[in-house]
Amino acid sequence: MVEQAEDSEVRVRVGGREMSLALSEEQLTALKAATRRILREPFTGRPWAELAFYFVSGGVAVLGLAFVGVTMVTGVALAITFFGLGILALSVRSARGFGGWNRGLARAMLGEDVEDPEPFVGRHGFLGWLQSSLRDRVGWRAVGYLALKVPWTVLGFLVAVSLWWDAFACLLRPFSGSNGGGPPVWGLARVVFPGNPFVFDGQGFFHGLAVFVLGFVFLFAAPWVMRGFVNVDRLMIRGLLGPDPMATRVRTLEQARTQTVDASAATLRRIERDLHDGTQAQLVALAMRLGMAKEKLEDADTVDLVRVRELVDEAHRGAKEAIAELRDIARGIHPPALDIGLEGALATLAARSAVPTDLTVDLRARPTPAIEAIAYFCVAELLANVAQHAHASRAIVSCAQQGTWLRLVVRDDGRGGAELSRLGSTSSGLAGLTDRVHAVDGRLTLVSPGGGPTVVTVDLPLAP
Amino acid sequence: MMPCALRVAIAEDSAILRDGLVQLLVDRGFVITGAVGDPAALRSSIAQNPPDVAVIDIRMPPTFTDEGLRLALELRARHEGLGILLFSQYIETRYAADLLADDATGIGYLLKDRVADVKDFVEALERVAIGGTALDPEVVTQLLGATRRTDSLSVLTTREREVLALMAEGRSNGAIASALVVSEGAVEKHVANIFAKLDLPVSENDHRRVLAVLRFLES
Repeated sequence: MVEQAEDSEVRVRVGGREMSLALSEEQLTALKAATRRILREPFTGRPWAELAFYFVSGGVAVLGLAFVGVTMVTGVALAITFFGLGILALSVRSARGFGGWNRGLARAMLGEDVEDPEPFVGRHGFLGWLQSSLRDRVGWRAVGYLALKVPWTVLGFLVAVSLWWDAFACLLRPFSGSNGGGPPVWGLARVVFPGNPFVFDGQGFFHGLAVFVLGFVFLFAAPWVMRGFVNVDRLMIRGLLGPDPMATRVRTLEQARTQTVDASAATLRRIERDLHDGTQAQLVALAMRLGMAKEKLEDADTVDLVRVRELVDEAHRGAKEAIAELRDIARGIHPPALDIGLEGALATLAARSAVPTDLTVDLRARPTPAIEAIAYFCVAELLANVAQHAHASRAIVSCAQQGTWLRLVVRDDGRGGAELSRLGSTSSGLAGLTDRVHAVDGRLTLVSPGGGPTVVTVDLPLAP
Repeated sequence: MMPCALRVAIAEDSAILRDGLVQLLVDRGFVITGAVGDPAALRSSIAQNPPDVAVIDIRMPPTFTDEGLRLALELRARHEGLGILLFSQYIETRYAADLLADDATGIGYLLKDRVADVKDFVEALERVAIGGTALDPEVVTQLLGATRRTDSLSVLTTREREVLALMAEGRSNGAIASALVVSEGAVEKHVANIFAKLDLPVSENDHRRVLAVLRFLES
C-alpha cells in the first residue's frame, strides 16, 4: 500500500484513491530511524532495566506504604497520648527512609540522579526530636510519594506488565496445542479483544498466525508503555523525593545573604584601606608641614621665609590631593552621578572610560536604587576591565529593559580569553560583582573566546 | 642642636608620610640611618646601620595588620637599648598592653597625628631614644576610662588626675610642669600626693614611675 517513488515521494492508496505524500530526505531518514529503533528496542538493555526497576521499587513502595500506613493509622488513633505522637513521628521518619531507598534504586537502575534532600536535623531532647520529625517536610513528601506510587504501580501492573506477559503468551500460543497449554493470555489483550479469542479450538492456521503477529505487536509496544509508567515515576521521584524546593530556596537565599554581607564587609575594608593609606596619610603629612611652618614662623628674628613658603606650598598641594582622593573614595561608596538617574550615570562612565565607549540606554521606568547601584558598579568594573586587560579599541555598553529584567551588555573588540575567576583587578573585582548580582537573584554570563570579542551580560530583576 | 645627633630609622609604608618624617627630622638635626617601607627592609637597615631609635608604622605590608607591632617586639628582644616609637593611625589598647608587658624603657606608642605638633613629637622621640617612655594621651585616656580603680582615682583632685595622666604618658616632672604651666616643685608635691593616695611605691626613675602607674590602671 505504501510504495516509495524515486523522488522520495510516498504514494498512499486509500480506498482506491491514490494520495501522494511528499517526504523530504530528512523526514524519510527520521522515519527509518524511528522504525529501526522500535524494532530494536525489546532487544536492548533499557526496557529490561526499567522492568526490573518497576518490580523492585514497586515492591519497596508497597512495603513502605504498608508500614507507614499502619504506623500512621496507629499513631493517629493514639494521638491523644504522647505514645501516639511518637509512633506518628516514627512513621514520618520511616517514610523518609523508604523514599531514600526508592531514590537510590532510581539512581542505580535508571541512572536518574536525583539529589539527596537535606538531612534530618533533630532538635535537642525527645520533644525536639518529636517536633522536628512531625514537621519534617522531606518525610511528609515521601509519604505523599508512597501514596501516589502504590496505585501507580498497581495500574502499571494491569497495563504495562500485562502487555509484556501477553506478548510472550501470544507468541507461544500457536505452539502450545489447541487445548489450552502454555501460559494464558489474561491481561490487556483480554480487555482489547473481549470474548477470549485466544483459546484455540480449531479456528485454523490463520487464527493462530494472527495471534502470533499480535504477540509481535505487543512485544514492540510493551517497552514504550512501560517506559511511560517509569517516566511518570521519575517525575514523582524528582518532585517528591528530591531536595525540598522551599528548603533549597531558603538555602540559596542564605548563601546570597552571606555573599552580600561578605561583599559589603569587603567593601568597607577596601574603603577603610583607601582612607587609611590615602587620605589619612595625606592629612597627617599636611598637618606635619603646617606644624613645621608654624614653628619656623615663631622665631620672628630668624624666619627662613623661603623654607616656610616651601612648606606651605607642599601643604597646599597635599590638601588639594587629599580632597581629590576623598572625592574618589566617596564616589566608590555611592556614585553621586546616580542621583541624576542610571542613564546619566552610565553616560558619565562611558565618557570617562579609557577605551572609546558607545552607550545605548532604553529604560521605561527608573529601577530601584539598589538595582541602579549594582548596574552602575557592574558597568564601572567591566569598563575598567576592558581598559586594563582586553587590549580593546572600542567598547559597547547597552542597558535595556526586557520585560521584568534589566539587561546590561558590555562588549569589547579585544583579545578575549577572559575567565570569570581571573577577571577583575582584585579579588573584589568580577567575583565581587557576581556575588552582588546573585544577591538580587540576577545573572552574570561571560562569553570570551580566545581572540575576542568579550561579551558580558548582566540580567537584573526590576521587580524584586 | 644636640651635641651628638640622634640616629633614627624609619619604617613607614606611606611614601608621602615617610618623606615628610625624613624632612622634619633632618630639619631638626637628626641623622636618618634608613627610611624604608616594610619590616624586612628595616631589619636589614638596622643590622647595617644601627640607630638609637626606630620609628615603626604598625600597619605595613604584607598583611597590613599588626606587622609593625610584631617587628617592634622582635627588635626589642634582639637589640638591647634600641628605642622604639610605634606610630599608628589609631590606638589599640591591647597593642599598648603587649608593648609594655614587662618593660617600659625606650618605648613609645603615638598617634600619627602627633607629628603636627612638631615640638611635642620630637620631645617624645628623644625621650624614647634615651630609654624613656612616650604613650599617646589617647592610650592614657583609654586606660583611665577602662580602669576598675575608679574608687581609688576618685580620691584624687582634678589637678592630681591631670598629673597622673601626664605621668602615664611618660613625661618628666619638668615636662609636666611646663604642660600645666606650674612650677616643678608644685608637680613634685602632686606626684608625692598621688603616690601616697594610691599607695604606690615611690620611684625617682621616670620610666619605673610610668610602669607603676600603668600597672595600677591595668589591675
